[in-house]
Amino acid sequence: MKTRIKEFRSRYNLTQEKLAEMVGVRRETIIFLEQGKYNPSLRLAYSVARTLHTTVEELFIFDD
Amino acid sequence: MKAKKLLWAVFIVALVIAVFLIAMAQYYVAVALVIGTLIMRHREIWSLIKTRKLPPVDERVRENTGKAIRNGFIFFAVATAIMMLPFGGVVTRNLDTVHILSALFLAAGLVYLLTYLFYDRAEPKMTQGRLKMLKTYLLIIGISVGVFIIGVFLHNALYALFDVEEPVFFIIATIISPLALAVGLIGSLVVFIMGLAGRPS
Repeated sequence: MKTRIKEFRSRYNLTQEKLAEMVGVRRETIIFLEQGKYNPSLRLAYSVARTLHTTVEELFIFDD
Repeated sequence: MKAKKLLWAVFIVALVIAVFLIAMAQYYVAVALVIGTLIMRHREIWSLIKTRKLPPVDERVRENTGKAIRNGFIFFAVATAIMMLPFGGVVTRNLDTVHILSALFLAAGLVYLLTYLFYDRAEPKMTQGRLKMLKTYLLIIGISVGVFIIGVFLHNALYALFDVEEPVFFIIATIISPLALAVGLIGSLVVFIMGLAGRPS
């Protein structure tokens, strides 16, 4: 699964550490999310999307 | 707060075990335990040194911890079974109550392992009635194991304290609870395997 977290993060000048702190997860989790190596729960996906002022559909690109 | 308590618990347990190992002159094992604990918790320690805060236990960490515990348990069970294989011949030659009970407990462990590993696969195919039946059988297994332990303890405690050879707890521990355990085991396995096979209920 591809994500646009990095793009949105740089739009708001947020570091991985800052975003992790705002979402309430570890920095490693944000790294894995950005690399598409971790599929988040709906709650986490929504939380990241809300922190970056966007929607889950905008942030996560589902490829079948 | 929960993460901090967990970290303290891990360190205290490791320290107590290390003290025991040193007392038994098992220095290499103690050193391995200390190094292992430090490696296992290096992220938390590093974060404490750097920011004086513990990193949160998020869903990814919880997921990974769950997987590690499950894999560790499977490895432990398989390794123990392999190490016990040479004793198989001795056990079957001189079969007694202890061996039958051990086999029942092993089977109970296997049923729990199976239901833990494949529950997600079986659960959607099961009706509410079957799920209730499975829960009841699993509950019977748990209760019978608890009753067995309490029965053995009480029987021995009464003998040690009052020198009484009482029959009630003895019968409960050696006949009733193993029977209940067997019923629970067979019942839960049948219900679970039917659920896994996806038979119409």
